[in-house]
Amino acid sequence: MAGVMESEEQARNSFQSELEFIQCLANPNYLNFLAQRGYLREKPFVNYLKYLLYWKEPEYAKFLKYPHCLHMLELLQYEHFRKELVNAQCAKFIDEQQLLHWQHYSRKRTRLQQALAEQQQQQQLPHGNATAK
Amino acid sequence: MAVRLSLASTWRAARPSKEMLPHTMTDPPPNRELIEMLALSRSQKLPQGGEDTQILELLVQRDREFQELMRVAQEQGKVHQEMQVLEKEVEKRDCDIQQLQKQLKEAEHILATAVYQAKEKLKSIDKARKGSISSEEIIKYAHRISASNAVCAPLNWVPGDPRRPYPTDLEMRSGMLGHMSNLPTNGVNGHLPGDALAAGRLPDVLTPQYPWQSSDVSVGMLPPHHGNDFGLEPPGHNKENEDDVEAMSTDSSSSSSDSD
Repeated sequence: MAGVMESEEQARNSFQSELEFIQCLANPNYLNFLAQRGYLREKPFVNYLKYLLYWKEPEYAKFLKYPHCLHMLELLQYEHFRKELVNAQCAKFIDEQQLLHWQHYSRKRTRLQQALAEQQQQQQLPHGNATAK
Repeated sequence: MAVRLSLASTWRAARPSKEMLPHTMTDPPPNRELIEMLALSRSQKLPQGGEDTQILELLVQRDREFQELMRVAQEQGKVHQEMQVLEKEVEKRDCDIQQLQKQLKEAEHILATAVYQAKEKLKSIDKARKGSISSEEIIKYAHRISASNAVCAPLNWVPGDPRRPYPTDLEMRSGMLGHMSNLPTNGVNGHLPGDALAAGRLPDVLTPQYPWQSSDVSVGMLPPHHGNDFGLEPPGHNKENEDDVEAMSTDSSSSSSDSD
């Protein structure tokens, strides 16, 4: 019995560690770190990355807080991407683009708010003219 | 001579009457002279030997054969006519069959298309059913990832803000993986200076529990069975099994010092 409980505990631990690890992949600096240490060249690691694709299923994906990691995981399946990550410039570029994309929605929202504010101003202006007369 | 005659007649009967007609007429050709001679010999009542009777008999036989042939020819004509009628019938039936064949082929084609499209539809229904998620769950998840600023930057974000769309250095180290691997604290482990700086700026609170570490995971949630074996193709061949989780650190079995 103890053996069964242990394996459940193990499974839970491995679930949690895999959850943490896959979300770490959203960090381009961490990816650069892995690349520079040669982990991305090892076949077992590449196999592990392929195995991690199960996080794309909805019943697992709902636990991910940083969904960017799934896109990074998909890109990591390609050898070319893994090779390029050794360059620090590449990682920096990815980081910048990621941040810009991250700000995309808030930028869009501020633009919408600005547009709305302008629209309200324009609506008030003719009323103001009318009352001035 | 009689035998020869009978043989000849049987042979003739087997051939088509068209061919036989000339023979009957020419052998011997019944001409006026012969008939006159015969009539004369009959009126004379002279026993002219068996020749006249023979010729007469021959003539009669010829006539009989001739009549027979005419009868056969008439029958054959009737049969031929029947044959033509039947042939026309057959042609008509053939046409009908061809028409039906065409219609059958068309129908089969239409049905095949319909069946194929129905199958495709069923497939897509299955697919949609498989991927169905309750809308509440989706909304919950959407709220979770947006509220934590994981997918959308906070509205007051400026460069210099340490928040990121990915787990930062600090968050990673304070997680389960970070504690599993006893990281030496010298150096920044390859992270870019900006990140480490940002991490250093924050006060080192006692291991904050970040929600990305699944503290609320349900008991039934387990990763698919993998057996810890991501080595080379022949599974039982190699013993390196500990490289899947300790990616951030050195091999835990080989690290002797546990001091932080």
